Amino acid sequence: MHDNVIDRSKDITILELLDRVLNKGVILTGDIVISVADIDLIYVGVKLMLSSVETMERLKSGQAIVDMKIR
Amino acid sequence: MEKMIYAIVSVTRDTEKLNAFLSGIKGIAGADLYAVCFNEISAVVSDKERATLIADKSSAIEYAEVIELMAAHFTLLPMRFGSVMESSDLISKMLERNYIEIQNNIQKVENKCEFGLKVFCDAEKLHEELRRKSEETANATPRASLEIRNSVYVDYVNKKLKEHKLEELLLNYVDSVIAGISGYVDRLQAVNKFKKMTTALNIIDAVFLLEKDKKDALIHAVGELQNQHASLSFILTGPWPPYNFVDFIVK
Repeated sequence: MHDNVIDRSKDITILELLDRVLNKGVILTGDIVISVADIDLIYVGVKLMLSSVETMERLKSGQAIVDMKIR
Repeated sequence: MEKMIYAIVSVTRDTEKLNAFLSGIKGIAGADLYAVCFNEISAVVSDKERATLIADKSSAIEYAEVIELMAAHFTLLPMRFGSVMESSDLISKMLERNYIEIQNNIQKVENKCEFGLKVFCDAEKLHEELRRKSEETANATPRASLEIRNSVYVDYVNKKLKEHKLEELLLNYVDSVIAGISGYVDRLQAVNKFKKMTTALNIIDAVFLLEKDKKDALIHAVGELQNQHASLSFILTGPWPPYNFVDFIVK
């Protein structure tokens, strides 16, 4: 696999991981939750990362990437 | 002391296995992990000292890694990062209050895992191709005999109609790609969720929930889809814990 494909794949994996852990999953609501500060700030970072992934996609298309995490 | 909750696990027969597993891994900042139980459901938690938890990217990644390690061995419902409660007693009461919904969700994701599929396009090329098709269609359509030429109003309406037509063609194209993807994943009995046009380049953002042993069939299907759509990029990620398929809010 070419180096830039590996780098791109790593970025996409981190982006997908952060998107899930910050934005999906079971949500606690109401008085029972004590929130952790600055999570919105991390999410802004994720959005920026999406922009960079898209830029890479603009440069290269027509190639399937299967990014399976090693278990 | 406050508790950070990572996931809710069903351990009907595996309580000892869960405890042994948790003793072998660490939570955020090396914190010990343990289970807070109500009947056969357990919340996996670590003690959280406010001063030690920094909500940064590396903490979020550590948190996700704990969930992923557990997901390889247990059926679980992942919690969103930042789920903190005051005490073990309150967590146990929360499990009791939400018992039925937790059980329903655990059944839904049992022995299954999630995959993400993003489809990117070269927006300029795709728009150009669709614009050409749109113009070909327009040229083939007979013009109205009462067409008024050289009118600003007519130019404006024509421009808007062209834009509308282009948008319609783009959505039809995206729908046709989604139909192709659905054709493959339905054969794998996967549950799917599609989002269209999340950005100008990311035309499809899909997630699938399917049985763990169908992973290879999904990879093969995405390879075939890529061959059919050479101008698009298909990016498949996973397997993930079922983040996108837990449909409830804990009260």
